[in-house]
Amino acid sequence: MQLIESKMHKNQAPNIASALGLAACALLGTSATAQAEINKDWQFDTAVLYYGETDRVMATEAMINGKKEFADDHFLNLRLTLDTLTGASANGAVAQPDVQTFTRPSGNGQYDVKPGETPLDDTFRDTRVQLNAQWTQPLARDYTFSSGVHISKEYDYLSLGVNGSLAIDFNKKNTTLSLGGSYFNDTFNPEGGIPIAFTSMPVGDSKAATWDDTFNSTRLTDQDDKTTTDLLIGVTQIINRRMLVQLNYSHSIVDGYQSDPFKVLSVVNSEGLAQDYLYENRPDKRTKQSVYLQSKVHLDSSIVDVSYRYMWDDWEINSHTVDTRWRLLLWDDSYLEPHFRYYQQSAAEFYQPFLNAAEALPQYASADYRIGEMDAYTLGLEYGTKLSNGHALSLRAEYYTQQPTNNGFAEPGALSSLDLFPSVDAVVLQFSYSF
Amino acid sequence: MGKQAISVHSQGAGLSVQFNAMASPCELLLDSTDTHLAKQLGNLVANEVWRIEQKYSRYNPNSVCTAINNSQGRAVSIDNETFALLSFAQQCFNLSQGLFDISSGILRQVWHFDGSDTLPTRSQINALLPKIGFDKVLFNESTITLPAAMELDFGGIGKEYAVDKCIQLLKQRSNVPALVNLGGDLAVTGERNDAQPWQVGIEHPGFEQQKTMVVSLRSGALATSGDAKRYLLNNGVRYSHILDPKTGWSVIDAPRSITVAAPQCIQAGMLATLGMLQGRGAHTLLDSQPLPHWIIP
Repeated sequence: MQLIESKMHKNQAPNIASALGLAACALLGTSATAQAEINKDWQFDTAVLYYGETDRVMATEAMINGKKEFADDHFLNLRLTLDTLTGASANGAVAQPDVQTFTRPSGNGQYDVKPGETPLDDTFRDTRVQLNAQWTQPLARDYTFSSGVHISKEYDYLSLGVNGSLAIDFNKKNTTLSLGGSYFNDTFNPEGGIPIAFTSMPVGDSKAATWDDTFNSTRLTDQDDKTTTDLLIGVTQIINRRMLVQLNYSHSIVDGYQSDPFKVLSVVNSEGLAQDYLYENRPDKRTKQSVYLQSKVHLDSSIVDVSYRYMWDDWEINSHTVDTRWRLLLWDDSYLEPHFRYYQQSAAEFYQPFLNAAEALPQYASADYRIGEMDAYTLGLEYGTKLSNGHALSLRAEYYTQQPTNNGFAEPGALSSLDLFPSVDAVVLQFSYSF
Repeated sequence: MGKQAISVHSQGAGLSVQFNAMASPCELLLDSTDTHLAKQLGNLVANEVWRIEQKYSRYNPNSVCTAINNSQGRAVSIDNETFALLSFAQQCFNLSQGLFDISSGILRQVWHFDGSDTLPTRSQINALLPKIGFDKVLFNESTITLPAAMELDFGGIGKEYAVDKCIQLLKQRSNVPALVNLGGDLAVTGERNDAQPWQVGIEHPGFEQQKTMVVSLRSGALATSGDAKRYLLNNGVRYSHILDPKTGWSVIDAPRSITVAAPQCIQAGMLATLGMLQGRGAHTLLDSQPLPHWIIP
């Protein structure tokens, strides 16, 4: 066996199909071209993923994706995703030299935050079920149409979406133009309802008879919604047998409730001490645009995949993402893939880490670090292999660090000695199996 | 081995012409409802398959193959077609570094793939090895000299060759979209009417519980190598009916079945066979080829 395998070493293999083709043409006295596609039965990809932030959120996710090719290049793709999220999430308030007390988003109870610590609400708990169905089929020669639906349900969130796209091949299928659009409608009914923007978080005895009225006076409504419309245009160009590039432009309009009902801003005095906590307020319109450039190069024993995305929006968040994957093809149908990602974003124009008691209220404000200035890095490694039964498995481990930075806010008094921009570290572990 | 008849049936929107050849059920599918044309093209195809069978079958006492095998080391005259087939076999022998060898059929004298656990002995095999080796065969455009006691067997390429020849004949005779299927090795003349692909179910011999693989074919061919019923099981090791001509030994852990899609049926068939000869390495070989393939491990 080993003798046989070594006799037909991998390096010699690539010539066999074409050499046989030439021999066959000599035998039959013809030249020939052909294209045949093989349809299998349902093909399944499954994955479990663990995401854990140090001292904060932990998420586990299970996914199963089934793909079936029907007659004539018609594909159906179904994906079911389940995830659970538990842990603590920053509530937006700044750290203080003294103990701070906050009311839980539901209004049922309070929690204390120790001096010097970033306030985290540790009641974060959610389970999400997501179902995607996508149908793809050729419309005519060189025209491929795809359409899908998306349903995602959480305890307090429902997202419904539809999408459609058209891919047009030309230039002997070396160039593909893609046009796509999607529409999502999300309904949010958080426990405790949606707070009135910029009202004070009530803090007091939640067992008192008057508590419910006090809490409800800060509530606007039980639920709100938003819609997202995305449009995409892209070109994929095969440069040569080893290289392809892709360029996409996308335009996205989000309309509706986009504040986070669980987030507040600290109102601090000139000594940096918190006087009050106000519920945040974000604009209800956001227009995002992005350009994305990707290049894949197939070298002799590795594949290099480099992409860059520039995103900008009318909240004045600009971001740059550079993502690099280098797949090293090993012997035995295995690969090792190092992954590096760098992300940098500027702050939204209404982002501020806290409000100053002496200043008038702005029209909009949020202290959510996720829309502040930050750098983020991902370092990862994936190993994948094909089993003797044709199934494939892969393991991925990644380290992620998010480093918020101060984009020019003075830190008065007590705040100057506290960490207002703590970094968030996380690990991602994923196991995938395809059959 | 006498000539048999063809029969025409309607199938879907088209017609099917059925006949038996090369110990297999054979079929010509036409995307047409013209039964007169179906009979004409059916006879064309069946006659070609029967011709090739008669000429190269080692069971037919009057075949070219038998004449060569009975030549006792004397030179035998050959025609252009035989020369072309021998040249193809030689290229496959060279490409596979001796793994594909049409002189290795003699090993069947000691290997009986009946599902039993009876393995030949080392000495039985060693006695046959000197009688194997296509590099010992001398041939040119007009003659072949096969050393005495050696045998050639065209069974490994005859069916795929017949498929390709039938496609050539059909294309010369008619523009009607057609598919030729000789016992699972098949090819099409091109797309069906309305630019639709052919939907082909590939059966895996002796592997009944395996779901039929559905293949969408716009041009070119598919060939399958393997037979799940032909093996020996000894001490938990599965010995496939694929034999390594250099050791005389069965290729252990060969996939049960390999199907390859390629422009020509003979190219697909040869690649499937070469994949089988790699045993466990079938994936490694086939994954590095730019042709679709399907392996049942």
